[in-house]
Amino acid sequence: MKKSNWFRINILKEEQWLNKTLQQGFKIAAITGWSSTFTFEEVSEPHIVRIDCQQSMNKAAFEEYKLIYEDFGWTYLSGSRSSGKHYWQKVIEGEEADQLFSDKQSTKSYYKRLMNYSLLFALPFMMLSMVLYQQHIFSLSNLYLTPGLWDMEGALFWKAFIFETPFALFRLLCPVIVFGAVVLSLKAYYEYRKLQQRIQ
Amino acid sequence: MKKHPLLPLSETMHYILIALQQPLHGYAMMQKIDELSGGEVHLAAGTLYGALDNLSKYDWIEQVGVEGRRKIYHITPEGQRILAVEKARLIHLLSLY
Repeated sequence: MKKSNWFRINILKEEQWLNKTLQQGFKIAAITGWSSTFTFEEVSEPHIVRIDCQQSMNKAAFEEYKLIYEDFGWTYLSGSRSSGKHYWQKVIEGEEADQLFSDKQSTKSYYKRLMNYSLLFALPFMMLSMVLYQQHIFSLSNLYLTPGLWDMEGALFWKAFIFETPFALFRLLCPVIVFGAVVLSLKAYYEYRKLQQRIQ
Repeated sequence: MKKHPLLPLSETMHYILIALQQPLHGYAMMQKIDELSGGEVHLAAGTLYGALDNLSKYDWIEQVGVEGRRKIYHITPEGQRILAVEKARLIHLLSLY
């Protein structure tokens, strides 16, 4: 069974979403396509998946990181030294043994890394929005770039107008994405702050 | 003295520094801490990795060898000094009970 996961930048939600499927008697067999497509396989033993978030590691640190987690019974599914996101899976043993973090300090710094990850994701869109803003692309007349379009008359105007509409929509899409990214990162920020406060 | 970000030591950091009085690799540390705490403190993988990374950063522990592919860690003189400071703090606290 395959499932796709597009544009889900909230790591905790993604983890919940994956574990819901695992609870129905599956395990993740493969993760492909930039961590967006999950292949599930039926199993008799219940499994759990955790998504860890780490800053870029050098080769030795990455090796050490994977060895420690594997010693604790986790299987590495997907990720790389600089991917930020690391997928770990194991057979369910019990509430305490199925966590990646066992004290307040390390759980708090995990949430902080999650928040930074979401904000970093939104960063390129914010930069794009600034460039677009400087080009005054947010006003309607600037969306259509055909010279003299608004002075044309009759059929000529409509032909030119309809011809350019797909391009204008595309340009309009950029600020929509920016708006979405800003909303998402603000949401992530407040969610993680709430989680941090719950721990304190 | 300026307050160090890891002070006062958390229970996890305490147990790791105490366990590393002898050279150990990651998983053996977790087992040792299980034993030392009477099964009360069971370290998770991410907590242990983060703690080792942090303690190494401040040179309170160091790598002293390898066992297979696993790094073996040991406490440094600076780590011992920190433990002594923490011990004095805790003894003082206990004397107030």
